[in-house]
Amino acid sequence: MLKTNLSILAVVIGCLGVFTWVANAIPQIQSDVPEDLVLSDDVTPEELIAAGEELYNGGGGCTACHGLGERAPNLLTDHAGTGLIGERCANRVAGEDCKQYLHTSMVDPNAYLVEGFAPIMLDASRTLSSVQIWALVAYLQSLGGEVTVSGADFADDGGAAAAGGVVASAPAAPVLGPTGPLDPEELLTRHTCATCHAVTGQSPLGPSYEGMGSRLTADEIRTSILDPTASAAEGFEAMLGIMPPIFGNIPAAELEAIVQFIASQR
Amino acid sequence: MNTKPWKHPLGQAAIVVVLAYVLFEWGIWLLPPLFGVASAPVPATVVLQYMGTVVVGVLIWVSDSEERWKQFKAPIHRVMVDPRQKVLRTALMVTIPLLVAFMTFDRVRPTVSAPAALRSVHPAPPGQIDFRGETMVLNGLENPLRHEGDLEEHYEEGKRIYVQNCMPCHGDALDGQGHFASAFNPAPLSFQDPGTIVQLTESFVFWRIAKGGPGLPREATPWDSAMPAWEDLLTAEEIWQVTIYLYEQTGWEPRTWEEEGAEGEEH
Amino acid sequence: MLPGVEITSERNVPKPGMTWRSGAGPILLLGALVLLVMAEPAFAQVPAGRDYGDFPVIGGRAAVWVAAQVHLLFAAFVLGVPMFAVVTEAIGMFGGDERYDKLSKEFTRLLLVAYSATAIWGGILLFLLVTIYPTLFSYLAQIFNLSMWIYVGLFFFESFTLYLYYYGWDRWKKGRAKWFHWGLGIALNVWGTIVMFIANGWLTYMMSPPADVTVDTAPQMVQLWSALTNATWMPINIHRLIANVVFGGAVVGAYAAYRFLAAKSDEERAHYDWMGYVGNMIAIGALIVLPFAGYWLGREIYEFNQQMGITMMGGFMSWLWIIQAFLIGILFLAGNYYLWVGMGRIPGAERFMPYTKYMLAVLIVGVIVWATPNTMIASREEFAAMGGTHHPFLSVLGLMSGKNTAVNFMILTTFLSFLLYRRANKEPVVPWARTGTIVQGAIFVVASAIVLFYGIYGYMVPTLVRIGFSVYQVLTVLACIIGVITIDLLMLRGATSRGEIQWGRMPQRSQYALFILAVTFTWLMGLMGFARSGIRQHWHVFEVIRDTSPWAATPALGYSSVVISACVLIFFGLVAFIFWLGSLAEKPVISSAGRASAAGGIQSELQPAPSEG
Repeated sequence: MLKTNLSILAVVIGCLGVFTWVANAIPQIQSDVPEDLVLSDDVTPEELIAAGEELYNGGGGCTACHGLGERAPNLLTDHAGTGLIGERCANRVAGEDCKQYLHTSMVDPNAYLVEGFAPIMLDASRTLSSVQIWALVAYLQSLGGEVTVSGADFADDGGAAAAGGVVASAPAAPVLGPTGPLDPEELLTRHTCATCHAVTGQSPLGPSYEGMGSRLTADEIRTSILDPTASAAEGFEAMLGIMPPIFGNIPAAELEAIVQFIASQR
Repeated sequence: MNTKPWKHPLGQAAIVVVLAYVLFEWGIWLLPPLFGVASAPVPATVVLQYMGTVVVGVLIWVSDSEERWKQFKAPIHRVMVDPRQKVLRTALMVTIPLLVAFMTFDRVRPTVSAPAALRSVHPAPPGQIDFRGETMVLNGLENPLRHEGDLEEHYEEGKRIYVQNCMPCHGDALDGQGHFASAFNPAPLSFQDPGTIVQLTESFVFWRIAKGGPGLPREATPWDSAMPAWEDLLTAEEIWQVTIYLYEQTGWEPRTWEEEGAEGEEH
Repeated sequence: MLPGVEITSERNVPKPGMTWRSGAGPILLLGALVLLVMAEPAFAQVPAGRDYGDFPVIGGRAAVWVAAQVHLLFAAFVLGVPMFAVVTEAIGMFGGDERYDKLSKEFTRLLLVAYSATAIWGGILLFLLVTIYPTLFSYLAQIFNLSMWIYVGLFFFESFTLYLYYYGWDRWKKGRAKWFHWGLGIALNVWGTIVMFIANGWLTYMMSPPADVTVDTAPQMVQLWSALTNATWMPINIHRLIANVVFGGAVVGAYAAYRFLAAKSDEERAHYDWMGYVGNMIAIGALIVLPFAGYWLGREIYEFNQQMGITMMGGFMSWLWIIQAFLIGILFLAGNYYLWVGMGRIPGAERFMPYTKYMLAVLIVGVIVWATPNTMIASREEFAAMGGTHHPFLSVLGLMSGKNTAVNFMILTTFLSFLLYRRANKEPVVPWARTGTIVQGAIFVVASAIVLFYGIYGYMVPTLVRIGFSVYQVLTVLACIIGVITIDLLMLRGATSRGEIQWGRMPQRSQYALFILAVTFTWLMGLMGFARSGIRQHWHVFEVIRDTSPWAATPALGYSSVVISACVLIFFGLVAFIFWLGSLAEKPVISSAGRASAAGGIQSELQPAPSEG
């Protein structure tokens, strides 16, 4: 009986061992938590600037437009002779000081459109937390100007300034149901897809939709929209990570219309 | 046991396993091209997975009938206990552990190949670099030689530098097909390709030449690149000259920094 | 990075203790759990002013994970077994075969101990939740308070119904009393099902809260009924109901295998051989319908939130489905193997034995195709040779069309195995027997052709059309199964026998196949539980309550597999104890059986050596 028990044990352990080994032999991918900024109320300007700079060049995705090229005003250099962004921000709109102007430009991008540019920017609060936006404001102010952002700013609109710091995350309120008619081309504009992808001809930033339907199936297109880092189009590998992963918030019917439209571009 | 080896379950099992291995290792790779279907060598992990399945299948087959199972076990049993089989037994007792030891060694021994990773070919450049002790701000930096001296002269000088230093890998046609190219994985870039220098500013190209593979950020897996860092061998002027040669020779326009009215940055 | 600025994800890097790759993991887990059982919540102290408690060595999340998984495994057993215990009892009642009644009682005896184990693990889970996730728990309690009280009440009823059902078995054995007894069994199922539905409401709420619940919704404002009946509630209910039957059948099969191996008399061996066969039949039969419930659940998840669906199928969990394919391949192979070996004890089965190798070949090719990964793991050299992460030739097999075709062929083959097994010792007497067999064969050929046609045609049409094809394939297979079994039932009416099945005359290795089946089912449940729970990612309640604990990152498969293996090991450790208890109670009854063995003719090598025992 002992022998039987031992061989049963061996079979059970052997099975578990094989399963565990197989699961460990494949590439290990952990789903990390999106980065949140945690800043205390008495944050110093230097800390804010450093955090803002990191966001600007990294996860914020700002450089996709405000970097090279002429899709958007370059925020790192002089723009049309009006000085660096830290200088010119105070003079842009009468009655708005630098801090207010920059903040409004981010959460309501089309409020003050810089001359010569199309209204293509996304509302930054869809992807960034209030703390992150204020850190970006501080960083932009630091480029040629004086930083006036302080912990009080995000304590105000962050609401819950708990003891020790405020944790803010991107609000993710799902939109329910289609919010308009399902005209794919209109949807592409409304959801700002057209900002980076052209329907025909040369695209501004990402791959063009022209002929995309013959390269990708609808499934792959949907995956690429919802999880933009899943794969890169040929020749666009370097751009991986620029497309923000926020389009899951598009109502399903509209998303489907967009997917089917792209899939029909052969 | 007087049956022929291919009539005996043990022999049949061995034949099936060997045939399956040949099929997975070479058959899938070499047969489809005969019919005009593209194929390629099968990765070792997949061969292992397939072979595991086949071996399980063979074990099921030999043991699903009592009679076959006994037949299958008989020669194994004989080798293990029969005094006349001592030589074979000893040989097996030596070779099998050795084989396992060798396979273990083969798995764990260090190799020159890098771990698989999703590689970013054109990573984001740093805002500034340190070039021979001087700080160079890359943002907004243009090729200074485009505005000073004779462009033709820079081009000729660039050609000389290219042929001396770059051609062995990147090729005389700038197509990444140099003499040494096939020795590298990933292969040297082709500058003719519309996906390479045409997408980049000259300052980016300068950075890549100056810092080479070792200067790549993590996401571009610097350990994979064979590109040397040229900053100790070439002067800043020489790097700018060879950059001019690259663009002039391929006919590409470098991507420019913000300029009023400039046409799209992808040529 | 400057002080004061901190990116939270750095806190979320798992602690060294959470990333075991070695075999030490399960042992440590087990050790920690032993500690836990002995000294319960004293270990898990909640530091003041924090949302999360901690647990020594393995961390809070792993502790709750293990407790929840083991509780769930016992619960699944306790809910699944009564379903077929009642059915078996009914077969005994109406068919008049005493054997089935005895079998049903034996199922129920296993339930008694398993039931208290379920309750103990439920208690452990509750205490761990309260001490480690106090804030989340109080949030859920505020929404679900009423349902929690009902749950406890039903649990009470369920327990006492079970006691009456078991202890009243011999008392209410005849006539009208037997009907009352059977009614008790049905009541047991009703209570159990409601209990499970309520608990499912809590966990599906965390997965798919109603759309009107947002970050700012106070828990008191959430409507209990809408929270319970959320988008994924019913699909999970159905999926679990079926899976519980599968699981119960598999564990009963393992129990029978254990008793078979430990048996000392031929009669005992015959009984447990038969019981193992019944358990295996229940498990495989219910398994065939499980994918439909799975499809429904998956579709509801996609409809609830596309991002969640993508995370599950294509995102960081995509490799999980390769593992699932691997496990299901094992289930198919082990299930068929058990049937084929079992044919050795049926007179007349030797007619069909030569065909098993062809069926095996189909199964092996099916498993190979089904488990072919779309994106392969390879070294840089191999990628260079393939020209990318997709193999130019094999990637064709990795697509949905190929895999669906493979799995449908596997189902058809398994069904054919079952059919041959059924037919083995029978000789049909109806005049149209030959025609009937030909029609059956024709149905198989046509069904295979349809499945194959859609499989190949699927490569030539757009995805949307192709998804529809999988439905046609499955319907074809189902129609084939129903058609063939109908003919079979009619044809074998009054069939002559080539000899009784020699129950008990079964080689020992077949019983190990039953163990493999049970372990694989259990592990698969753990894996699917991880998938279901993991797609919430860093949310406690999806897009409502954020997980800000140190364990917010969803772990990789390797770590998860260690936890799952630990859970399975704990479960089977306890189950083995329960089985052993079962044999303690049974002993005097069996040894008194002095009748001639029904099994008869057992070969001497199949009997355990006298020294074992």
